[in-house]
Order: sequence, then structure tokens, then C-alpha cells
Amino acid sequence: MEIFIQVIASGLTLGAMYAVSTIGLALVYSALNMLNMSQGALLAFGGYVCFYAMETLGLPAPVAMLAAMVVGGGLGLAIYLLVARPMLGSPMFETQIFIATIGIGSVLQSVVLQLFGPQPKAQPLNVPGGVSLGGVVVPWQSLLILTIALAMLAGVAWLLGRTRAGLAIRATAQNRDAAQLMGIRIGQVYAQVLMLSGALAALSGIMVSSLSGLLPTMGADPMLKAFVICVVAGLGNVPGAAIAALLLGLLEAIIQYLFGVQYAFAILLGLVIGVLIWRPYGLFGKRQVVRL
Amino acid sequence: MSAGRRDILLALGFAALLAMVPLVFGTRYIISQITLFFIWGIVVTQWNLVLGVAGIFSLAQMALFAIGAYATAMLAYYGAFPLLAAMPLAALVTVAASLLIGFACLRLKGAYVALLTLAVAQVIYLIVVNDTACFTNPPSGCLPLFGGVRGFSRFGDLGFRDLLGSKFYIGHYYVGLGLLLAAQIFCIILIRGPLGLAFRALRDNPGYAMSRGVGRLRYQLWVFGLSAFFTGLAGAFYAANFGVVGPIVFSVSMLLFLLAMIVVGGMGTVWGPLLGAALLMAADEGLREFGTLREIGLGLVLAIFVILLPRGLSGLRRR
Repeated sequence: MEIFIQVIASGLTLGAMYAVSTIGLALVYSALNMLNMSQGALLAFGGYVCFYAMETLGLPAPVAMLAAMVVGGGLGLAIYLLVARPMLGSPMFETQIFIATIGIGSVLQSVVLQLFGPQPKAQPLNVPGGVSLGGVVVPWQSLLILTIALAMLAGVAWLLGRTRAGLAIRATAQNRDAAQLMGIRIGQVYAQVLMLSGALAALSGIMVSSLSGLLPTMGADPMLKAFVICVVAGLGNVPGAAIAALLLGLLEAIIQYLFGVQYAFAILLGLVIGVLIWRPYGLFGKRQVVRL
Repeated sequence: MSAGRRDILLALGFAALLAMVPLVFGTRYIISQITLFFIWGIVVTQWNLVLGVAGIFSLAQMALFAIGAYATAMLAYYGAFPLLAAMPLAALVTVAASLLIGFACLRLKGAYVALLTLAVAQVIYLIVVNDTACFTNPPSGCLPLFGGVRGFSRFGDLGFRDLLGSKFYIGHYYVGLGLLLAAQIFCIILIRGPLGLAFRALRDNPGYAMSRGVGRLRYQLWVFGLSAFFTGLAGAFYAANFGVVGPIVFSVSMLLFLLAMIVVGGMGTVWGPLLGAALLMAADEGLREFGTLREIGLGLVLAIFVILLPRGLSGLRRR
């Protein structure tokens, strides 16, 4: 029973962390058909900005998190203006933006390396202690991550479901041309989506680094997992991505407990490939009928 | 003269020119850098077949290269195979692995393929690096089954050291040249032939191609498996040339470097990838002193080329 609670708690924490960056990726894919390979670098950037604001500038934690999200959003906007917008009309947009963001990701990661050096650092945003739940100590840190992540997910759900901007984003994702004909400025929508995704990535980076420490390359692994989650959910399916993130987080914690940490990702991926052979468009994706 | 025949003559001409290089510049550094160019040249010509000609966004290509290199090292190290026998065997192992990966990934399309192949490559890397249980205990210390973080070394060489003495690198140079020539001629025949037509049809209009009887999974598995042979062979030659194989062959910056070669030269063209490889290796040589700025430069080159010149340098001619 105690082990059960521990596995569930760590699984939910993992899942919540993944969910925050995964919905950012899913949003960008659904609106622009764009796989943002620089997401990992944005994660690292967010973590380091929070570190810099708290450690060097001595700002309180909420301000530092806000600063990281603003920087992440700014980078997202810059990626839209400098990289995505010039090639939006190209017939090979999906391939091109993929390659271009791989390049941008490498640039951003090298910038972090230049600014902060290759040594691992501890994220100062850390809450010590824990709370006893059914005889098991669950760290406050995990509960904090879970709370922030759930608040963030609720916020995004509200934004998408209840506001005019959210309506415009959903309309653009559903049918770009029709949305444009209805008077939606899709350029603006794209910019908003990338900013939102950048801010979510920064927040996710802070969470990841508060558990595993800061490294310039720290974003690569969570990004890959976020992508795998997106694929399982069906690319571009935002609510599906959140559910799949929580499910895969739990699954990862269970596999880690049963088979050991080093094989967790390999086994997880085996399962994912199995799922995709069974349902090529993801668990929650719809089969697309293509008209020739 | 048909385009295919012209390209093959061109390839033979280039090879003849390159064959004379060791007679003129004797320094070991230049010769081994050009040998490295031959290795990357093979990888990018084959990757270009998959990515540019068939339009399959595979990022597993470096993993296949690594499989070729590791298979060679492991056959030679554990099985005591001579390298000349281990290399073709490793290429066949790579083909088998590529068919397995292809069967799992190629049922999907576009972005899904890219993500899944990237994930498969990462898993292979993690399995190699995270395995810490000792498989054997040579005098140099504990060695896991896949070599672990340290990798393999001392698994023999191609025998040029006995034959040519201190000039053994010239032997490697000619082996590399021969392999690249074979790989490039293979590409030309494939691109200009009927199979290439099928691959391009599936890339440009999969629906129409399939309705004319070109099975997508079948032909994409073909191009995946065929290109894996030379990719694996390049990995095998990499192992033989350097005498060490470690997890560095999986590194992201290596993937970036090779992808940039294809993009700069021109995806889907016959000569673009080799042009890109030559240019980027020369530029890399110039940037060597700048350390981490090299990564920034490489990333910027990749992004700028995709944004401003998506057809690469070979595309300039067609404008």
C-alpha cells in the first residue's frame, strides 16, 4: 500500500510536469502544423532564467517564475517572427520548420552553455520537507509541482474554451482557410500560440530542473517524452495530450518501480510503438480521410 | 547521353581526381580529414535517398550508422572476426535493423515518422549508455555487452599497418574512396532508375502513386533497407578507420552536422549532399578554434538555409 501511494505520487508528478510542456507542443502543432524542435532549449532557458532571477538578482520565487515565462513567451514570439512566418506559405512547411527549429534549438542551447557554463546547478526554487499521507512522506515539492501544473492546465483550458482568443485559436486549428475567411487574423493567432507554448515550456523547465537540477542539455529528454506523448495522444489533440501525459507519467513510475530506471524509457517506447501499430493516429486522434 | 550516364561518368572522374590526392599532398592530417569526408559523404548520400528522394523524415539514420559501427566492433571483439569479414556482416545487420525500425515506423506518416525514429534512436543510445553490468572483464576493466560509456577499442584493423607501415592511413583513404564511389553510383542508379521514380511519386503525391499500384509501405521499406546497407558499411568503416567506437556516434551535434550538409547542398538532388558535406567540413575546419561558437554557427546555418534557400545550393541553378 505504501509503495502504491509512493508510485502514484511520483507518477502524477511526472505526468503533470510532462503535461505542461506537452500541451504547448500540441497547441503549436494543431494551429500551425509545426513541430517545434527547439522546445527542449526553451525548457532549459526557462529553468536558467528562474535560477538567474532568484540566485543572482535575489527576486522572490513567483516573480522569478513570471520572468522565466515572459522570456519563454518572448522567445516563442521571436521564433514565430524570424523562423515560422517567412516560410508559412511554402508547400514543404512541415519538413522545413522541423529542420529550422532543430537549428534554432541548437543555437539556444549553445547560448545557455555560453552564459551559464556546463556545470550542473541546483534550482533554488525548492521547498523542503513533506507531508505524511497514509504512512508515506510525499515531498512538498511534488505537491507544489502538481498544484502549479493543474492550475496551468485549468488556465489553458479556460483560455481555449471560454475566451475569444481561445475560440480564434481553435477555429484556426480546425480549418485555417475557413478561419481566415471569417476574419480571424491567423498571423496573430500563430504568434499567440507560440508565445503561450514558449511560456509553458519555461514553466515546465523550472519544474523539471527543480527535481533534477539545471544543465544546458536538460531539455532534450523531457522534450522527447513530450513528443512521444503527443504522438500517443494523436498529434495536435490538446485535451488528449494532457490525459496521455498523466497516463504515461503514471506508467513510467510503475515501470521504473518494476524494472528499474534505466529501462523505463525503452519499455515505454516499446508500448508506444505497439499503440501506434494498433491505432496509427494515436489513442485520441481521429482517422483522417484524405480526398484525392 | 542520359542524365544517369553523365552522373556516373562525373562520379568516376571525381574519384580519379581524388585518387591522385595522396600522391600530391602527403600530410597525414589532410589525408585523414578527406577520409572522414568519405565516411560522412556515404552517410549523407544514403540519408538523402531516404529524406530527400523518398520524402521519409527519418532521424534514425545516425542510429543505423552507429549499429554498423557497433556491429563491426562487437563481431571483431567478441567473435574474433577479421574486420574484412565483419564489415559486410555489420552492413547486413544494419539492413535487418533498419527493416525492423522501418516496419514499426513507416506505417505512420510525416511528422509521426520523424518523432518515432528520433525516439527509437534515443532508446538505442540509452540502452548502450545505461547498461553498466559487466559482460566481460578484460585487463582494461569491466566491459558491458554494448561497451557502455567507454565503447570498444582494440578490435583489430584492416591490415594496412602490416602492409604499408606508418603510411597505413593512405590505405584507409583508398578504401573510403572506393566505398563512397560505390555508394554514390548506387544512389545515381537508384535515383535515375524506375525505383527512384516510384520513391519520388510517393513523396510528391502519395495518394495518386498508391492508386497507380505503388504500395507505400513496401517501397518505403525498400528505400529504407537499401540505404541502410551503405549507411551500415560507412559505420563499419568508421570503426575500422578509427579503431574505437563509442557512444559519441549518437550525439545530437553529429546529427545536426550531417543534416546541415544535406540541407545546405540541396535535399533530393544527386550531388547536393556531397557538395554540402565538402563545404561544411571545410567551414568546420575554419571554425575549429571557436569552440562552442561552432554549434551556434551550425544551428544558424541550418535555420538560415531552410528559411532563405530551402532547395539548397543545388537549387540555385534551377532558379
